[in-house]
Amino acid sequence: MTENQKPATEPSSLPGGLIPPEQWKLPETSVRRTVKGGIRHLLDQLRAGISVEDEPFQSLDDLPVLSASQRHRFAPEPDFAAVANTILEQLTSDHSGNSAVGTVRLIVAPPFSGIREALARLPVVSGKESEQSGWRVVAPPDELLMDDASARQWWDRQDLEEPWVIPELADFWLRHTSGLALVRELLRRLSAGAAGQGIVGCSSWCWQFWRGYCPDLHVSPRCPAPLDAEHLGCWLEALSHQSGRKPVIARMTNDGLYVLPLEDDRAGKKLKRSTFLRDLASTSRGIHGVALAIWQRALRARPEEEADQESDTVVEGSSRLPQCWVAPLEQLSFPVMPQSNGRELGFVLHALLLHDGLNETSLELVTGLSNDGIAHVLSRLMRADIVSRADPAGHWHVTALGYLTVRRHLQSWGFPVDGF
Amino acid sequence: MGDLGLKDAFATVTSEALLQALLVILIASALVFAIQKALPKLAGKVGGKPRLYLLAMVPLLRLLIIIATIIIVVPILIEPSFENMVAIFGALGLAVGFALKDYANSLIAGIVTLYEMPYRPGDWIEVDGKYGEVRYIGSRTAEIVTPDDSVVIIPHSTLWNSLISNGNDGTDNLMCVAEFYLEPNHDVRRVLSLLRDVAFTSPMTRTWMPVTVVVSNQPWGMKYRVKAYPNEPKEQFHFVTDLTARGAGVLAAEGVGFVSAPVAGD
Repeated sequence: MTENQKPATEPSSLPGGLIPPEQWKLPETSVRRTVKGGIRHLLDQLRAGISVEDEPFQSLDDLPVLSASQRHRFAPEPDFAAVANTILEQLTSDHSGNSAVGTVRLIVAPPFSGIREALARLPVVSGKESEQSGWRVVAPPDELLMDDASARQWWDRQDLEEPWVIPELADFWLRHTSGLALVRELLRRLSAGAAGQGIVGCSSWCWQFWRGYCPDLHVSPRCPAPLDAEHLGCWLEALSHQSGRKPVIARMTNDGLYVLPLEDDRAGKKLKRSTFLRDLASTSRGIHGVALAIWQRALRARPEEEADQESDTVVEGSSRLPQCWVAPLEQLSFPVMPQSNGRELGFVLHALLLHDGLNETSLELVTGLSNDGIAHVLSRLMRADIVSRADPAGHWHVTALGYLTVRRHLQSWGFPVDGF
Repeated sequence: MGDLGLKDAFATVTSEALLQALLVILIASALVFAIQKALPKLAGKVGGKPRLYLLAMVPLLRLLIIIATIIIVVPILIEPSFENMVAIFGALGLAVGFALKDYANSLIAGIVTLYEMPYRPGDWIEVDGKYGEVRYIGSRTAEIVTPDDSVVIIPHSTLWNSLISNGNDGTDNLMCVAEFYLEPNHDVRRVLSLLRDVAFTSPMTRTWMPVTVVVSNQPWGMKYRVKAYPNEPKEQFHFVTDLTARGAGVLAAEGVGFVSAPVAGD
């Protein structure tokens, strides 16, 4: 890699780091885009019906999407071990200014932020690179329905003397009268300072529930900073040259303006920049996984020879770098919520977000819907690309691309939504 | 001035002016009709606050259209001089005072309703023992739809001398109460905690709103009231049903029985 191919500063795997939730704010966008989004959402709600054929995600342009290998090359999944390292470093530096020993740190993050995946890798990272003793993952029991006494006994059996980590608190409870005991007992121990040294990852939806359930709980959570245009650009650029690969050049398919690289001039020529990153940051609500999913959808493979021939020395100077094209957000269609008169869709989707994924049996328990009803709802949502069943435990999850419409619909249906 | 000056005021009215005025009134009526039909229909398709906003726009838009129509029509028919205005409003005052007193009373109350907003479309109100959702606010009356799908027409003049109870008052936060009548001699704190969990674990509960459980001692046992907010006001009956069913299950598992009161027949 030549010197001019390296980014000016080493990009962070977690741009912006961890911040108090009070400092979190939605990435800004233009008024035009906000109004457009609002009208589109209203029209989605007003649509009388939707045919089954229209439900799945479709690209509205006819440019070829990237192959799986190209997508993996240009927009790969982040290195969660590096994220875990960054989290550990930041928490350690925060902790060094705190005289309290044996504190438990809470990280609240919107879905698809990658915090669960990162924290799950913490034992490996801390074993290799940290001076501290290794962190141990506390896994939830198979049976979450238990009374208070059983929950106390279960936590007593866990070794909380050594540093421990819970990648996702949502795995430890069910929204059922018998499903609250484990988290309630953990929070009681946190308040009493009797939980040793630990890190708890918590989905923002789960946290929204427990904050209401325990209004007197005093903890100071941290959350990943939202990706604004600048952070998003750094992050995407860093992803593209992860593992020592060459950074990618990405240009808009409609006007040829540059999305990546981030530097304003190249080979002595000023680059005209697109506002795509700002729009993407705002559209994805600054959430890493959502932004990446949209970015992967927006990337196009077709090289436009005419454009290259007409282009200036900038391209000549960077001809050795891989190049891809980016479809404007307006040309992408996102998953559309199926129309329904009942509330079943909302119950299922809210439960999935609250628990960061559930199987049918648990869904039946927390929503009160029948097995058949849940099967029908899941089938419709799956056809619309809004939920998928990807993990080996057979849990259903909201998809990263479907998350935005799910959140907006749940909000307009009156459901409690997270603060992110 | 035996004719209150009306003859002079309308002396300049021509058939062409009359036609113009009629056309304006017809257009305004069609517009009002379209708004009254279309907006509630649209509101039925969206949930939450957009629904309330759409419903609330109906009477407001109608009032604006009526005012605009008057402003347009009066100059078409007569010269809007001080004398002419006095003549017309004087004649109107007489007619209203003698013949249409009650009607005018309701019309004026209707205007006050738009200003003071004791109820808006989408509100759940109780007037004279009738409970339901305000679906329509007309010039003279408001229509509420009861939970049993009956339409009750309430003249706005009721506003002057009746108590109006408004459950959500223009918002989408409506508190619901599920009541449990339990046998005495049980662990009250345990039951309070269980019923609170029942409310928090209902998928219809707005967990960011307060959830409270209160208890009072009665001669026959204990009366518990679980107070919580459903996701949407229109879900209130399903919500109370859900709380009651879940609560009954939890209390049965805990071994706390319900009070069975003997009923005396006629």
